[in-house]
Amino acid sequence: MFDPVILAQILWTGIATASPFVLLTAGFALTLKVTGLWNFAQAGLMAIAFYTMFFALNAFGLPVVAAVPLGVVVTSAAALVIEAYGLQVLRERHSGNLTFFIFTLILSEFIIYVLTLAFGTEPQTLFKSILSPVSIIGDIAVSDWDKVAVAMAATGLALLWGFMHGTREGQFLTAVADNAPLAELYGISAIRAYRVTAVIAALFIVAAMYLIGSHGGIVPNTPLELVLTAVIATLLGGIGRVFAAAAAAVFLALIQSFSILFIDSRWQNLLLYGFLFAAILLFPRGVRLIAIRR
Amino acid sequence: MTRRIGTGISRRLLLAGAALAAPAIRRAHAAEPLKIGNALPLTGSQAGYGSDFLIGTKMGVTDVNAAGGIAGRTVELVALDTQAEPQLGINVANRFIGVEKLPMFYSSWSQVVKAQAPVANREKVLLINNGANSPEIATLGDYVYTAFPLAEVDVTKLARYVYTVLGKRRAAVLYINNDTGIDAAKLYRDTFTAAGGQIVVFEAYDPKATEFTGMLLKTRAANPDIVHIHGLTADTPQVIAQMRQLGLNQRVTSYSAAYNPKLLEQLGAAAEGLIVTSLAPGVKDNPKVATLLDRWKTEQGRMPNGLPYIQYQYDMIWLSKALYEYLDKKSLPATGDTLREALLTVGTFELPMTGRMVLDGHRVNKPVYLLTVEKGAFVPLATLT
Repeated sequence: MFDPVILAQILWTGIATASPFVLLTAGFALTLKVTGLWNFAQAGLMAIAFYTMFFALNAFGLPVVAAVPLGVVVTSAAALVIEAYGLQVLRERHSGNLTFFIFTLILSEFIIYVLTLAFGTEPQTLFKSILSPVSIIGDIAVSDWDKVAVAMAATGLALLWGFMHGTREGQFLTAVADNAPLAELYGISAIRAYRVTAVIAALFIVAAMYLIGSHGGIVPNTPLELVLTAVIATLLGGIGRVFAAAAAAVFLALIQSFSILFIDSRWQNLLLYGFLFAAILLFPRGVRLIAIRR
Repeated sequence: MTRRIGTGISRRLLLAGAALAAPAIRRAHAAEPLKIGNALPLTGSQAGYGSDFLIGTKMGVTDVNAAGGIAGRTVELVALDTQAEPQLGINVANRFIGVEKLPMFYSSWSQVVKAQAPVANREKVLLINNGANSPEIATLGDYVYTAFPLAEVDVTKLARYVYTVLGKRRAAVLYINNDTGIDAAKLYRDTFTAAGGQIVVFEAYDPKATEFTGMLLKTRAANPDIVHIHGLTADTPQVIAQMRQLGLNQRVTSYSAAYNPKLLEQLGAAAEGLIVTSLAPGVKDNPKVATLLDRWKTEQGRMPNGLPYIQYQYDMIWLSKALYEYLDKKSLPATGDTLREALLTVGTFELPMTGRMVLDGHRVNKPVYLLTVEKGAFVPLATLT
């Protein structure tokens, strides 16, 4: 089992598997950084993104180049509606963090419930075939899906980095994240920053759900499990550190992948919960931030 | 003295009254439909199978009613959703017994049947498994029986076939970590080992897992001759897909859950050579199955998920007919005890789609039909008796 080829294969597949989680975590952590909210409504947006693309591909018979943009439009619109008519209303009422938490979680549950009624609960994949062509590179099996996943995650993070550091809009997001009232004094609209963040998160969500939905079956409540990984990675990476959170998502995936060398595969998912408790107990920064906001 | 005479008169009067009343009761019953309960996953990850099972059961109901019903009564199906979840299965059992007042009901999915068994035993209601295959089902109590062959039938015959006919000596067993997978995987391991083979990987995966690379790399390192996968419809195609992508080209065996047209769609060429089991005769073995399949395709416009299971669901109504007609002939009321008596006394049932069913204690034995995937379709490979 400790053959270098096997270790390299686990490393590569772990990185590829982590890619959609990197995208989800980046969107989740960016939202937390800019808005200060643990936005569990993103689970509902993940479900919207997947089923929009699924419906477009399988019911309308649209090609991928049309289905994915449709997913982007619908998910972004849903994110903006939630931001404008949900979160902003709560902000204006000076609602506490617990209210935001309950609102976003219940909203996700509601969206998933509606999608369950519409699409049923049978596992669905975006494409009829879940196979992806494989090439052997230095004894390592590399599928086309792996390459696309890694490329999308790397490109997404690079674009986000460029946006945050190289554009005025990105710098406005950082300013609002640092101190929203002070940023507004300088003429930066916090509301606009929140909406831009919602759209960026929606883009990352669509990309991630495209990858996940083309690799295996999804049921409407799968996103609630996916968001758990984003939460753990965000806690591990540190509140407000988007790229560190993305790196933590890779770390989590690799830990899970390499754990097979030492434990039975049925215990792999248990590791995630272990990290969740460890992150909450040993990385108190996130918890302290919530306490301050209360 | 007076008391004795009085008691005697009362008894005679009661017996005469009962005798006169019996046809009236039957006539009253004749107007009422006979309810038959079936617990199935109609939503959730197993709904693809559960919904098709329900269609199969409804076809059985239609045909039995067209043939005059059961003892002159029309059959009414009461199908409730378990989501293949034990807790929901218990709720369904309570509803069948407490609300619908059914003396007998059918159920499928091992974890659900196991959860319902204590309720059925406590309430003395007959529970007949009609699709689950955990060997433990044979030991769940006095009121739990099976019409569906348990894993010891197909898994043991398959494991022996793999060793003796295919000549495989090193097998990997990958199984879902629930009641469906655990017991069956142990059976495969024990049978294959007893035949002289070696199990080089014996690995369980989480029922919610979507990534199997680690487990498959362990398998690749062990270099088995054949891989047996004992999972469910949602995960089995993903395991095989990832297996092929990691360069594992060994022949795969599975059981009846993998006998599914959707799996062929999802896997394409990667499914070639896959061996699955079927516990019911195919279209070439029984012309009635061909008729059922044609009717299905006409009504549903597609192939069914898990045809053999659907044959059992269809036959469930005919099995009920045999049990209730026994009670009618003996003028017995329908209770869990009398239905159990009917099941054990009749013992052998000729069923239209699955053939002869011979009860062997809490088990049934059936021939196992092996199929393999050739050019994108399931074709018969062997029949193991």
